[in-house]
Amino acid sequence: MNRLLRVELIRFLSRRAVLVILALAVAIPVVIGVARILETRPPAPDELASAQAQADAEAKQPYIQRNLRQCIAHPESNLGRPVPDDVEAACEEMILPQPEWFAYWERLDLASEREEGSGVAVVIVLAILMMLAGTTFAGHDWASGSVSNQLLFEPRRPRVWGAKAGVVTVLAAAFSALVITAYWGVLALAAHSRDISLGHGLLLDCLQSGWRGAGVAGAAALAGYALTMLFRSTVGALGVLLAASVAGGVVLAVIGIDSVWNPGLNVYAIILDGASYYVDAPCPGGGIQDGSCQVEKILPIGRALWFLGVGLVLFAGASLASFQRRDVP
Amino acid sequence: MGDLVIETAGLRKEFRGVRGGRRVAVHGLDLAVPAGGVHGFLGPNGSGKTTTIRMLLGLARPSSGTMRLFGEPVPKRLPQVIGRVGAVVESPKFSPNFSGRRNLRLLAGAIGVPAERVESAIETVRLDGREKDRYKSYSLGMKQRLAIAATLLKEPDLLILDEPTNGLDPAGIREIRETIRDLGESGVTVLLSSHILAEVQQVCTSATIIGNGRLLASGTVDELLGGGRSYRVAVPDPAAAVPLLGRAGVTATVIDDRLHVETDAPADVTRILGEAGIWLTELAPLRADLESYFLELTEADQLGHAGDDEEAVA
Repeated sequence: MNRLLRVELIRFLSRRAVLVILALAVAIPVVIGVARILETRPPAPDELASAQAQADAEAKQPYIQRNLRQCIAHPESNLGRPVPDDVEAACEEMILPQPEWFAYWERLDLASEREEGSGVAVVIVLAILMMLAGTTFAGHDWASGSVSNQLLFEPRRPRVWGAKAGVVTVLAAAFSALVITAYWGVLALAAHSRDISLGHGLLLDCLQSGWRGAGVAGAAALAGYALTMLFRSTVGALGVLLAASVAGGVVLAVIGIDSVWNPGLNVYAIILDGASYYVDAPCPGGGIQDGSCQVEKILPIGRALWFLGVGLVLFAGASLASFQRRDVP
Repeated sequence: MGDLVIETAGLRKEFRGVRGGRRVAVHGLDLAVPAGGVHGFLGPNGSGKTTTIRMLLGLARPSSGTMRLFGEPVPKRLPQVIGRVGAVVESPKFSPNFSGRRNLRLLAGAIGVPAERVESAIETVRLDGREKDRYKSYSLGMKQRLAIAATLLKEPDLLILDEPTNGLDPAGIREIRETIRDLGESGVTVLLSSHILAEVQQVCTSATIIGNGRLLASGTVDELLGGGRSYRVAVPDPAAAVPLLGRAGVTATVIDDRLHVETDAPADVTRILGEAGIWLTELAPLRADLESYFLELTEADQLGHAGDDEEAVA
């Protein structure tokens, strides 16, 4: 088996299409990371000076001055009660334009990057690319007809299927883990260089989330591979995946299946260690009013792992059984 | 007959169509290939040769029947004997973007064959000099030679070659033919599937002929061609010689002023006619060519089983 694994590893890494996909799996997170670092960079001193000048100029506008005078004259209607001791300072803070209004920047926050920002995006991109890698690897073997040649040297089909699946899955997961670790490492370095506190264990949380995402990418690669071994064609497998992604959500919505069965939500739950979703429920006052009352629920990671894991095992089992039984061209 | 390298009994393969019909590609085939030499596996296109080979190699599942390689039941024990079997099935199939050498090294790596044997196989099929080129840049002949090189990696006891000269130019055909003959003489049993009869007649020691997935004839090439029992005899008066031979129990007929004689002892013919004062001017074995015999068999089979291929599902 070790020999087969070694050979399949060489074959996988020798495929030009796979190498292009792996290059994209590095390039896209790099682009996303660089974009996030640039978008969240603090303004330069000259930008701050320019913003200050703009704020000062705006403060001299007649309508601003009029508002300021009104605030000082009637603090209770502008500032509310109790009226602060230093009414003038409070009104200036509220009415006068501030420099950051003209030099707005988003702070780099690893927690929000992990939960709803680029961290999830990087994982999704990697999962899609790894699925493509698994698909093209198996599809090429069928297209060139080399599967039959391989079976003339190793006729135990489960071994051949397993060696290819093992290489695709482990390599996709390991490669994704490497990319994700580097991604969070670079973002953490950028935050550190800006004196942004990472908080207690935040980086570890991000890394753990990323590594779970790497597992998702490995599973996606296995799914792509298994599907292609089932359909024996890259085009066929990609067509099914495209149809499932386009029509799947629509079908779930039309037949009114609970979101808990949505594969996408389950993937989120694995990456984020649980994901929230909403279900219709009676409003607090009693009865559904206008059908608009919804209750937030949490999909735990354990259930998501069970759901997607069982699906993947069934899927891979069908692919293996098909490979074992059907004639090979 | 010595040990059998390939043995099938009642081998049958049905393909089911999408519209519910079924096609029988191999119809209860009994095949016996003895050890040693080159054995021809003859049949017209679509007669079931490739399907039979694919079943023997585990690439297709038989619908019924049994198969043995080196006495071991396959596909059950195929993993135990596949190391002794090299095969090229239909056209060669390799990764097009890898070089010939890399393709061979990957296959060798899968079964733990040392890299030196790859170089030796490349040399044997005379691909050295082009082994670093991509497979997709190879000519058809080079692809066939690479496929044969792949079979040699295992140093097989049995080589199964399915139409190995398909699409080759005359020089390529001769090269492959010489390689096959050399392999047969070196002790490897070669099963050569072909519909090119001259090729089989030149290279093979024995042959099996199938048609419509059924066994039509099997034996040594000599046996198939009449076993050397027919002779052409030239005498001054053929009509006078016929009753003389008939009285001695030798069947003779006159065709084109020559006697066609059926006998196991041609010396008796010269003696009988000589004693009667009829002197022979010619006595030559009458050899049917394999093509005539093959056409005779397969045409008769076509007539006998027209319409058998497609069977409606009850």
